[in-house]
Amino acid sequence: MSAPASIVRRVLFNVLAWAVVLVIAFPLLWMLLTSVKPSTELFVIPPRLLPGEITFEHYRRLLTETPFLIYLRNSAWLAAGTTLVVIAIATLGAHSLVRFSYPGRERLARLVLFTYLLPSVVLIIPLYLLMTGLGLANTLTSLIIAYTTFALPYALWLLRSFMKAIPDDLESAALVDGANRMQAFVDVILPQALPGIISTAMFTAILAWNEYFYALVLVNNDAARPLTTGVISMLVTSFNIEWSLLMAASVMMSLPLIVVFTFLQRYLTRGFSAGAIKG
Amino acid sequence: MSRIRFENVSKRFGGVTAVDDLSLEIESGEFVSILGPSGCGKTTLLRMLAGLERPTGGTISIGGRVVNELAPAQRNVAMVFQTYALYPHMTVAGNIEYPLRKRRVAKDERVRRVREAAAVLELEALLHRKPRELSGGQQQRVALGRALVRDPAVFLLDEPLSNLDAKLRTHMRAELIRLHRRIGRTMVYVTHDQLEAMTMSQRIAVLRDGRLQQFAPPRDIYARPGNDFVAGFIGTPSMNFLDGRLEGTGSGRTFQCGDLSLPVGMLALADEMPEPDRRVRLGIRPEHIQVDQEGEAARVNLVEPTGHETILVFDYRGNELVARMDGDVAIESGDTVKLAFRAEKLRLFAAADGRRLNDDSTP
Repeated sequence: MSAPASIVRRVLFNVLAWAVVLVIAFPLLWMLLTSVKPSTELFVIPPRLLPGEITFEHYRRLLTETPFLIYLRNSAWLAAGTTLVVIAIATLGAHSLVRFSYPGRERLARLVLFTYLLPSVVLIIPLYLLMTGLGLANTLTSLIIAYTTFALPYALWLLRSFMKAIPDDLESAALVDGANRMQAFVDVILPQALPGIISTAMFTAILAWNEYFYALVLVNNDAARPLTTGVISMLVTSFNIEWSLLMAASVMMSLPLIVVFTFLQRYLTRGFSAGAIKG
Repeated sequence: MSRIRFENVSKRFGGVTAVDDLSLEIESGEFVSILGPSGCGKTTLLRMLAGLERPTGGTISIGGRVVNELAPAQRNVAMVFQTYALYPHMTVAGNIEYPLRKRRVAKDERVRRVREAAAVLELEALLHRKPRELSGGQQQRVALGRALVRDPAVFLLDEPLSNLDAKLRTHMRAELIRLHRRIGRTMVYVTHDQLEAMTMSQRIAVLRDGRLQQFAPPRDIYARPGNDFVAGFIGTPSMNFLDGRLEGTGSGRTFQCGDLSLPVGMLALADEMPEPDRRVRLGIRPEHIQVDQEGEAARVNLVEPTGHETILVFDYRGNELVARMDGDVAIESGDTVKLAFRAEKLRLFAAADGRRLNDDSTP
């Protein structure tokens, strides 16, 4: 009686889930297929899903005839630089917000969250003026600073909640065992916070990798342009859109994230399960 | 060499006073318990000694050296936490070795000392395990090992047995006493469990609301409690109290409570109570209540046989009295029996401030 009903429910659920997956995955699939189609096949009517012939010509052109590699390098620097700066400040900052008691600590923590609620649009003009004033306009450094302004509050808040879960006694034990504050932090707190640090780092890196708006306003030369704005400015003009190259570029932009995710996701789950059981 | 001295030490957290003007001296090599109900400031006291909290006032010295301004690392104390606080990402060996690494002890020496500590605590087989793979008792021993390996001047133990089951607790109690005898170091043991304090310590400091109530050997704490709080806190079931007044002096002195009049002239009092109303509390330990045909009638409300003894709850002229009698006593609930108190064991406390009135010669 109930067995067939539960089977029906399961089938329905699966059909629904796969439908959602398809809707999300189809543009990605289309991107991948378009990037390996010869340009002549792009606009045939009726449209064909599978390419008649597979070509890597677009990838070759992208890598040899365009500044794509420079943009890629810039994006990598941005992601790595921002993550490094944000994690360095946020781990120490979160530790301070959790462990030390000083007047206004809670207010400070809330203020941090409040800055995160500000839309980035209102910050962009002051930031632009600041960067030109500092002589940093059109540099990767200006973008790293800009990205830090919006990634740091969230990172602080995230890491704070991770660090709150670490028992006070662990740090106290390290202090009594002969460590100074910094050693206790490095030896005991950091390893415990590692799952949190990894997920925060991933979040920050993705944010920096995908950022478009700040890059568009603050950087205006190829030497410092990241992939997001670089690819658009080079392939999309008022007269023409290089669809094949755009798709090839999109595939190559997504690849690093996918690789990082598949590698670190495993690490993440392991970290979480290890942290769940307290010693 | 590792005598500990608290002089007028206070600790306030915001508006809350955790430790209030406390002075205490612990001898080198002594095993001392800090005993009190939760929230009495005992853990704060220990954390101040470890250097994890800074006193708001007063001085703390270890081995004649004022340590108020010293970081925990510079105090040569080791601490065992209630939660054990083992480093989850390190192995048992790594945990025990950590204090040595922070003191830059050479590798060979570290390995040797970790092995030694592991041998004492029977942890050899577990050295490569992570803390989460250990039982509570094993984790407890690792925490002890981490303290032991450094050979510190002072051991601080913060309710180390409270997370163990009853049987293991009894076992570890004996182990700790043996350990203290072996290494002869000063040990300060914080607990809310009077049984632990009574069985293990050479002296007990009883704390209440951040104030020291009494600091004395276990027998004295039990027989000559400094005030009615200590008297009521130590002993299970706790001491019975009757509120009343003193009349007369010397051998003609009596305790008046309603229409009850008890002769208490045989008690040697340090203070005959100069206050005009002479209001006092009479303290009677449950084991000092006896059935006596000459005594006062009392109704039995409850009989709780535990085997080797029986706990009886009486209605004694409107007051509840708890008595401890033999296991084979033939009294049933609802009976009326005549009760008397062992007169020389009665304790008198001032109603105003609770201080004991019996002088120190009290048996």
